[in-house]
This record gives sequence, C-alpha cells and structure tokens, in this order.
Amino acid sequence: MAPVIKTVNLTHLYGEKTLFEVTAIINVSIEIEKGEFVGIIGHTGSGKSTLIQHFNGLLKPNSGKVLLDGKDIWESRESVRSARFKVGLCFQYPEYQLFEETVYKDIAFGPKNMGLGDDEINTRVRRAAGYVGLSGEQLEKSPFDLSGGEKRRAAIAGVMAMEPEVLVLDEPTAGLDPRGRDTVLGLIKEYREQTGSTVILVSHSMDDVARLASKALVLNKSEVAMFGPVDEVFSHGRELMKMGLNVPEVTRIFMGLRDRGLPVSTSVYTCEQGRRELLRLSGEVSP
Amino acid sequence: MIRDITIGQYLPGNSVLHRLDARMKAVLTFFFIIVIFLCKNFWSLGLMIAFTLLFTAISKVPLRMMLKSLKPIFVILIFTAVLNIFYTDGGRELFGFWKLSVTDKGLYTAGFMVIRIICLITGSSLLTYTTTPTLLTDAIERLLSPLKVFKIQVNTLAMMMTLALRFIPTLIEETDRIMNAQKARGADLESGGFIKRAKALIPILIPLFVSAFRRAYELAFAMECRCYRGGEGRTRMKQMKLKARDLGAAFLVAALFCGVFFLNYRFKALI
Ligand SMILES: Nc1ncnc2c1ncn2[C@@H]1O[C@H](COP(=O)(O)OP(=O)(O)O)[C@@H](O)[C@H]1O
Ligand SMILES: [Mg+2]
Repeated sequence: MAPVIKTVNLTHLYGEKTLFEVTAIINVSIEIEKGEFVGIIGHTGSGKSTLIQHFNGLLKPNSGKVLLDGKDIWESRESVRSARFKVGLCFQYPEYQLFEETVYKDIAFGPKNMGLGDDEINTRVRRAAGYVGLSGEQLEKSPFDLSGGEKRRAAIAGVMAMEPEVLVLDEPTAGLDPRGRDTVLGLIKEYREQTGSTVILVSHSMDDVARLASKALVLNKSEVAMFGPVDEVFSHGRELMKMGLNVPEVTRIFMGLRDRGLPVSTSVYTCEQGRRELLRLSGEVSP
Repeated sequence: MIRDITIGQYLPGNSVLHRLDARMKAVLTFFFIIVIFLCKNFWSLGLMIAFTLLFTAISKVPLRMMLKSLKPIFVILIFTAVLNIFYTDGGRELFGFWKLSVTDKGLYTAGFMVIRIICLITGSSLLTYTTTPTLLTDAIERLLSPLKVFKIQVNTLAMMMTLALRFIPTLIEETDRIMNAQKARGADLESGGFIKRAKALIPILIPLFVSAFRRAYELAFAMECRCYRGGEGRTRMKQMKLKARDLGAAFLVAALFCGVFFLNYRFKALI
C-alpha cells in the first residue's frame, strides 16, 4: 500500500532571488504510512511549519514533490483543492482564525466549503464538538466569549469537522497552561483512537511526542536529522541535545544515572518505562 | 504575495548616506525635490541627473532595488509622456496624423517631465532606503517641534506615526497567516465573481480586526506600565548631533542648487 504522504527531495525557499532569501527546508524525503502517529520535533526555525504546509498544498515546493496516496498534489487545480480536505491542517494559535457569530457556525465553515449538505454538516459539527469536549450550549455562544483553552479546542474542532484522512497540528499546546495542555493532548489521542486516522503533531516538547507518537521526525537546520520509531530516536539522546533539543525529562534522569555508573538502559522515554526499568534494576541489585 | 508590498522599506547598510543625520537627510531631500522643479533647460537637468546618480552610488543601494521603486509609477510615467507629447502647443511640427501632431517642443517637454519624475522618486526612495522608519519619524518630530507654539501635539503625532509604521509588517504577516489558516479550511479566495470574492474576505478581515485591536490594547497597556503618559517632557535615549559629514552633504546640495541656477541663467530656457 502506498504511503499516505510521501515527499521526494522537497526543498523550499522563502523570497527566492531577493535579498531576503531564506532556505526553510532542504531535500526532505519522508514517507508517512496510513494510521501512523508522527511527531515532528525541531528547534524554532528548523522548518517544521514550512514542511507541514506542503502536505496540503498551501506552499508550493521550489523543487521536489509531495505525493498524497501516490499522486502528485500539484498535478492540477483539483488535486490541490482535494489535498486541502484530505489533509486537515491546524495552525499554531488556531484560535486567531475564529470569525463566525457562533462556535457552531465556525466549526461548520470547513464542511460547508466542502459542499456538504446541511444534515451531514450538522452531524459532523456535533461529532467534532464531541471530540474536543464542547457542549451543545457552548456551540451557540460567540467564539469570542469562550475562554482561551475553549477557543483553542473550538478551532481544532473546525479542522476535525472536515474529517480529513490526515490531521496535522502545529504546536497545538503552545501557550496553554498545564491543564489545558493535558486536555488538548488527551483529546488528540482520543480522536485518533476513535477515527483511526493518521495524525501528525508538531511540537517542541519532547515529552508530548514521547507520550503520544509512534514515530518521530527530527528536523535540524532545515534538514531531516532523524526519522524513525520514537524509542530509536530518543536513544540518540546526546545527538538530540547537541541540536539544542531536550530529550524527555525521564530520559535525562536515566542518562544521568548511567553517567553515575548504574547499569540502566538510556532508551527510557516515558514514566511507565522508567518505573519498569527501576524495578528491573532494584531486582538485579537486591534480589 | 502579500509580503511583496513594501512601504517605506529600509535597506540595511553602512554607507555615508545611511549614517547621515536623519534630520539633515529629510531637509536635504526636501531641497533636492525643489531643485528638480527649478531646472529649466537640459544643462541644468543634466546636472540634476548627475547628482541623482552620484547620491545613488554613494548610498550603495543596488540598482535593481532602485528600479523596483520605479516600477509602481511606470504607468504614470507613460501617461505623462503621452499627454505631453500630444498636448503641448507650439514648436516645430515633426510629424502628424489625424488631429494630433508631434512637435519638437512636445517631445522635449515629455522627456523633461519623465526625467523629473524619475529623479523625484529616486531622491525620495533614497531617503526611505537609507533611513529606518523610527529614525525618520524621530527626525520629522524634531523638525516639526516648532509647531508646538500652535498647541499641536507633535510628539503624539510622531508616536502615532512610529507605531503605525512599526505595525505594517506585523499586520502583513498576520494577514498572511490568517489567509493560510482559512485556506486550510477550504476557503476559496481566488474564484467567483466580485460579490463572492468580497464575501470570501469576511473570514480574513474579522480575525484581522480582532487581532489588531487586541494588539493595540496590549501595546497601550505595556506603554502605560512603563509610565508613558503622552509626549510632554520626555527626554531621548539617542541624541542627534550634526557631524562633519552632514555639513558636507549640505554643501553638496547647496552646490547643486547654485549649479542649477547658474546653468538656468547661462543657457536659454526650454520651457
Ligand atoms: N513567510 C515567511 N517568509 C520568509 N521566511 C519565512 C517565512 N516563514 C518562515 N520563514 C523562515 O523559514 C525558516 C523556517 O521557519 P518555520 O518553518 O516557521 O520553522 P519552525 O516552524 O520550525 O519554527 C525560518 O528561518 C523562518 O525565519
Ligand atoms: Mg512553527
């Protein structure tokens, strides 16, 4: 089966042939399979946002290709438009895109643009509101009357309501308090379990990626530095730290233990794994 | 696309023109523009062109950027040229067709006008290319400060101008972002008739206004927190002092002034 998203030598420059030319991504060739949960991590300015805007045809590559289900996005006008709906992209700080009179209408904006019937729109809006935990009462409010976290969830629902094959979220937890962060991450996880769709999560929190994703893509200075299963990527802790990225806090603890001479594995990246590793160790040390 | 809009754009650099006192630059640009309209024949106009080229060379602004600043007025240039060619009375007829006739005087006038406009745009672009918007408003504020006697709040006006200039790039960036976010939800901005397109702007304009107001409130709040309470009695972090190079520049422009007067007087006026 063809991968859902495949890029071939994707390169993008901003302001090409001007004094202000910036290379945002160079030669990115990756394949994302159906149903995978990919975390994209990298320093600010490493090209994460640029890369994901190629997945739904918002940006046109300067060279290279983007294939959706094996077909080039830029083949025709129609293929670009269908890419917009196949790949749902939720930008960073998506609450700034809210504009309608009611939350309901705002969530319905995407499905309406798809040309769906009223009944279908209604089911989709209610379903999306369910994923993000907005009540029927909140749907009738003005989006500007919601709290910060609720606004964020309403905006995410606006993308989910298009029921895209691939859901891409650009730093969905940026600027939220810890509780808001947990809520958003939880609902993304739930959404994926319920719909089984492919999810791509851009984040600079390694802990979030470690907790949720099955694969991790590391971007460094516009290039792909690593791409593989999460445990494999986090086992290269020192290289990640050299790129100025933090490894998950648990991993750092275990790297510290290892440095102090304890025979622990350093490919521990969630608390649960850490607990098991410690139990294994204590069993070893004092039987 | 929307990022291509460039208003009062500054090109970072370290030429003598960049380092000139902004007040002096503003005043000299003003005189430079006056001189352009004092030229009466091709000799003085030639001197004008020579000085324009000289200043461009000193500024080290790439010729490409200079041409770019002329691009928006290309239509105006053509229009001016055509009008002058056909609607100038008198002179020797070179050729004619239908009711129109082209005279030597018409051609001269057209050429004159086009060159004047080019010099005008080049001169004023040099000012904005080599002066940051902040310095420029600062300079304008100081130059206008005598107006205080008429109870005009020059500092407030200057602060408003500085803030407006400061937020142009921010708002352009914001527009770009919102447009992308709505496009990702399938908004179609490119097709349909006038009404459909105007309607398609609503999802972009509303968030844009909301965010502009939010930014304005935040900024006002931040300014108040740092004890801003209008311009009265504020001192400056950066003092502006005239240096030798500023006098040199003034001298150059004065020389241009005298040269143009001399050439106007020495040779016959064309128009
Ligand atoms: N619209 C733009 N115009 C010009 N340069 C841009 C634009 N967007 C991003 N860049 C530049 O491209 C590079 C990659 O940016 P981005 O993809 O936003 O990185 P990230 O999302 O990883 O922080 C940065 O150097 C940034 O300054
Ligand atoms: Mg980003």
